[in-house]
Amino acid sequence: MAIVKIAKHQRKDGFVTLAQKKETGARGKRRPRRRRSKVVLPAGPLKLDRFQEEAIAALLEGYTVLVAAPTGTGKTLIAEKLLEHILAAGKGAVYTSPIKALSNQKFRDFGQLFGPERVGLITGDLSINERAPLLVMTTEIFRNWCFANPEELEYTSYVIFDEMHYLDDPERGTAWEESIIFAPPHMKILGLSATVPNIQEISSWMAEVRGEVVKVVEERCRAVPLEISWIAPGGDVLDEEEAREEIAERQEIRRWRRQRWNEVTAAGWEELDY
Amino acid sequence: MAAIFSSPTCVEVIEAIQDHLPALYFAFSRGRTELLAEELGREWDFLTSGEKRTVRRVIQEAEENNPGLFGPRRQNLRRLLLQGIGYHHAGLSPLLKDLVERLYESRLVYVLFCTETFAVGVNFPAASTVFDACRKWDGQEFRPLLNREFFQMAGRAGRRGYDEVGRVFVRIDERFPEQTGFYREDEVEPVRGRLTISPNTVLSLLHWKTDAEIRRLLEKNLSVYQSNKESRQLRREVQKLEEKAAELARCFCPDRGQDCCELYRVKLRKELNQLKKSKHRNRSDIRQRRQEVQLILQKARKKCRYKICLDASRKIRRLEERVHLLHKRLKQLDKHSRDYVREFENVWSLLEKLGYVQGRELLPRGRFALYVHVQEILVTELVFSGIILESPPLEAAAILAGVDYQPGRDEQVMPPPFSLERVEELRRFLLESGVPEHFCVWSPLPAALAAAWYQGATFDQLLGMTNLQEGDIFSILRREIDLLRQIERAAGEDRALALLARELRRRLDRDEVAVVGV
Repeated sequence: MAIVKIAKHQRKDGFVTLAQKKETGARGKRRPRRRRSKVVLPAGPLKLDRFQEEAIAALLEGYTVLVAAPTGTGKTLIAEKLLEHILAAGKGAVYTSPIKALSNQKFRDFGQLFGPERVGLITGDLSINERAPLLVMTTEIFRNWCFANPEELEYTSYVIFDEMHYLDDPERGTAWEESIIFAPPHMKILGLSATVPNIQEISSWMAEVRGEVVKVVEERCRAVPLEISWIAPGGDVLDEEEAREEIAERQEIRRWRRQRWNEVTAAGWEELDY
Repeated sequence: MAAIFSSPTCVEVIEAIQDHLPALYFAFSRGRTELLAEELGREWDFLTSGEKRTVRRVIQEAEENNPGLFGPRRQNLRRLLLQGIGYHHAGLSPLLKDLVERLYESRLVYVLFCTETFAVGVNFPAASTVFDACRKWDGQEFRPLLNREFFQMAGRAGRRGYDEVGRVFVRIDERFPEQTGFYREDEVEPVRGRLTISPNTVLSLLHWKTDAEIRRLLEKNLSVYQSNKESRQLRREVQKLEEKAAELARCFCPDRGQDCCELYRVKLRKELNQLKKSKHRNRSDIRQRRQEVQLILQKARKKCRYKICLDASRKIRRLEERVHLLHKRLKQLDKHSRDYVREFENVWSLLEKLGYVQGRELLPRGRFALYVHVQEILVTELVFSGIILESPPLEAAAILAGVDYQPGRDEQVMPPPFSLERVEELRRFLLESGVPEHFCVWSPLPAALAAAWYQGATFDQLLGMTNLQEGDIFSILRREIDLLRQIERAAGEDRALALLARELRRRLDRDEVAVVGV
């Protein structure tokens, strides 16, 4: 009996939402509210953040540097400043990224920034302008070079590992690790990583295995802070405490339903009178 | 029933967050992104007529350059894009993904349903991100998202200069409320070392690196460094605890353990109690022991401040328990820390057995495998067994497409019009010779697709042969092109093989499969 009641109740609810839909849907589809003016915070000219300045200073002094910062805080800018400096000095650099699509994108970006003739792309299935001073590669290709033709890297002063936390990838992490261990000793590394708690540990490992000083630059603050909320079925936006309550309540209801269901089925199907 | 278990819709989610668009809506299967996009498209339209005109123009331009861009399967995406809704996953062709990305960057997509890959690398920020679920299929099982994964995606919310905060919304699923995730940025998981020893690693080390360099990789890699560090810490703690115990033990006098020592007598009293309660208390040996103990206890106790000793012995016992636990953890660490030296030697001796190396010297097979970076043993054997050169080129193309391919659950492709028995036989032989399964991964599934593409079929014809999606077919063929480049390089003086590899590559690298305008 109870089940039947719930079903009816829910169905009634269902009708209500249907009716609402009709109201708005009469003249076609629903449109969003558009805010007149968007909040535009002072963007200002590109002023470097403290951690960016710190990282760039260490790089210009020729150190191996690990940068750990949340996405969107401007790690790329650090890489670009370094590349600008290297190219101006007539040296070479390698930029590696974890996925092909990203390599392609970086190849395009750097081509626009530094001139297409100065940028090359090498992935497993594609190579363009291989002799360029700035080469964008997948990490696997760089690892292969470290073994097979380190002499090609003679004039390359830095290798940049984008998304270096891929070290932790069960399948592909090994390419990052072999690269770090076997990158020719004259090369310095710029590692860009998402926030990881043990960045100091990684840096002391690199210092030990490569026998060089490794500087760590960390930024914990996001450029734009995050605010996490939960959305309950029905569309209410909840904060953490409310969400936990909501979940506990729903679990309780499910337990109760399951129990009722067991009772009803135990009593026999014939009692269910649809 | 449907009423009871009605699944919450993304429509009400978008309704709730409509002041915070554009949104990236993360879902963890391709089908789910499409389903949700369709659902939203039935009720919402985000674009003004001016924006619609722009989208229409962008789409038309893209289609002029690539007729059949949307193909037979993606007409729904075109319709949705004109409403400001998109979906994006690895099943789409790269050109279509690119179009969706461009529209998104031009702020013409208000809600983009996407999979995790959209959050790696290229930064496409949004006003808000939504999580359809907090669990994902990781190739082996459904598991909750890690903190790191969650924030990699969540962090796309909040555009610098536009939004004061980036809003992240986690949907509570009516059916699985207990699976809702709660994540903390200060609990992001540490990075661990993941070095693996593949046949190529061993060959590369033997061929190009000195003994000292090999030792550096095997003994100083991140994984070893990390487990050494923990065990060093544990050992230091054990030492400290033992020192403390020794310090405490100094208060014991030389009479400890003698009949007159209170420490001993406490123990005896306990024993006596137990003996009295024992169900064998009437057995002769037990009775005898009781008398013995009673006799000792009747003797005089040494007059001393025994409480200090009792206290110390209790503390020492606690320290010993802790030391015991630490030793257990140390043993565990020793057992689980990977013995890279042994792994290296195992692969080395396998390679020796298969005739790739003799000591440190690379034999022809080894010199070939040195330039192959995917399933190197299997590929080398395919070449050295003659299968690749003796089969018609068409079949060689088909065979190589299956290297390292692990089919998903319900993937289907029409079978090819020729037999692949020789490859199956070779694999069986390799497995019997002691080559581990993961060193000879191959599937016949993609064979017919590669063969047809080699013969000049159109992309639509390929789609007609399988339920695989455009993006899958694309990546199968691109991976084969990658492999063919490796084979060409590995072939060295073997002109016939190098020519075959180049010819196959030339035929495969065309039209939809070619990468244009990188």
